[in-house]
Amino acid sequence: MKKVIVIDDEPFILMMIEDKLKKAKIGVITLRESRNAFQVIKRERPDLVILDWMMPELSGIDLCRMIKGDSELSDIPIFMLTAKGQDSDEQLGLQCGVSRYITKPFSPKSLLEMVQETIGNE
Amino acid sequence: MTVQELSGVYEELSLLYRISEIFSTLSIDEICFRIVDEAISTIGVRTAAVLFLDEQAENLYTMAYKGEWDSKRQFARDNGIIWNSIQAKKPSAFCRIKETEYSDYIPGISSLMVCPIWGKKKAVGAIVVADKELNEEFFSNDSKLIMAISTQAGLAIENASLYSELEALLLGSIRCLVKALEATSHWTVGHTERVTEYSLEIGKLMGLETEKLDKLKICSLLHDIGKIATPKEILNKDSNLNESEWLEIDRHPIVGAEILEELKQFKDVILGIKYHHEHWDGHGTFGLMSNEIPLMARILSVADTFDALTSDRPYSLKHSKEDAVKEIVRCSGSQFDPVVVEAFLKWANP
Repeated sequence: MKKVIVIDDEPFILMMIEDKLKKAKIGVITLRESRNAFQVIKRERPDLVILDWMMPELSGIDLCRMIKGDSELSDIPIFMLTAKGQDSDEQLGLQCGVSRYITKPFSPKSLLEMVQETIGNE
Repeated sequence: MTVQELSGVYEELSLLYRISEIFSTLSIDEICFRIVDEAISTIGVRTAAVLFLDEQAENLYTMAYKGEWDSKRQFARDNGIIWNSIQAKKPSAFCRIKETEYSDYIPGISSLMVCPIWGKKKAVGAIVVADKELNEEFFSNDSKLIMAISTQAGLAIENASLYSELEALLLGSIRCLVKALEATSHWTVGHTERVTEYSLEIGKLMGLETEKLDKLKICSLLHDIGKIATPKEILNKDSNLNESEWLEIDRHPIVGAEILEELKQFKDVILGIKYHHEHWDGHGTFGLMSNEIPLMARILSVADTFDALTSDRPYSLKHSKEDAVKEIVRCSGSQFDPVVVEAFLKWANP
């Protein structure tokens, strides 16, 4: 089973993504804090990480840089979630190796399609 | 609230965010195609179609579709599900249509949801979606989503049709003016329409954008409107004009500009008309040179001269197309902008 780690400080976003992915038979680990996320990613080696940009303590973009800077993890694709209308950030996100940049509010259905497209459908 | 409900609300929210951008076009066809795409991806169906009411509100005909649908499909008034939904102003769903009295309603379809499209006051038509991808039934959230699409679509379609009515009214009024003008002189019948055609061809070959071409069209249609003030006897004279008569004719660009002065939105159109007899080398009426002359005027000048050369005129013999083209080329750089002439040649000698 494919495995996705989702990190967002908004609990309802986590619930919604978890529900959507689990129904499509994709394993999900949700984290409400970014603080320990790097350790969890290192331990779990997910097929995909979905990150919120704006989180207290450690922002999504910093966490993204840590993942992309780690030779064992740098191949893991990253989706970045963020509030609508921050065009300049998209450039930064893409430069940091984000493979999909998704603005909130997003369609849960198309998020699932993007996940399936990226990690395959096993 | 369950996670599923939450997910549904969030889906709707994201749709509403997208929709204002999706329907920001003024082309009705484009809006209809976007409705179909949005309905297919948001509801997750295999088939979607947009139907419009005809002017008498007697028939619904297909405007756009994807999936299992016949492009010529029409529904006469009082014919079942779709009309009922329009009358009720709300969506209705049939999950197993084969088991109902409507089993033959739309061939090849097993489940169906209809949502009316209403403008502010009157019905526009309906959206039909059919057969969910996973063969699921339609949920109440689906009807909420399709309502969100149709509400915005109704307003967008109404806006777009108001816009095109205004546009038609404007062009209609302009053509009335042109007819009034052409009624005063038998020499110029058809001249305006031909010049408009030539100008637009040149403009297209010069790569002008749609908005500029629209203005060029209006400018060309109105370019001789000042001749409405030229005495009829001069316009219809069958022999050569004397000097004072020529001076009278030469006033038509400025008179035209004065007549149109009230149309504040047409500033550049008016300048195009005012300067359409200027010469590239500065030897025209106002002495403007090269790029000082507005582009519309430079294009119009070539189109206008070409038509004058190839038509019967009291003061000159009609030229063959080849001779007229040669004459235009000869005057490139003196009377005409060489770049415009280059585009003109592409059109004249394809």
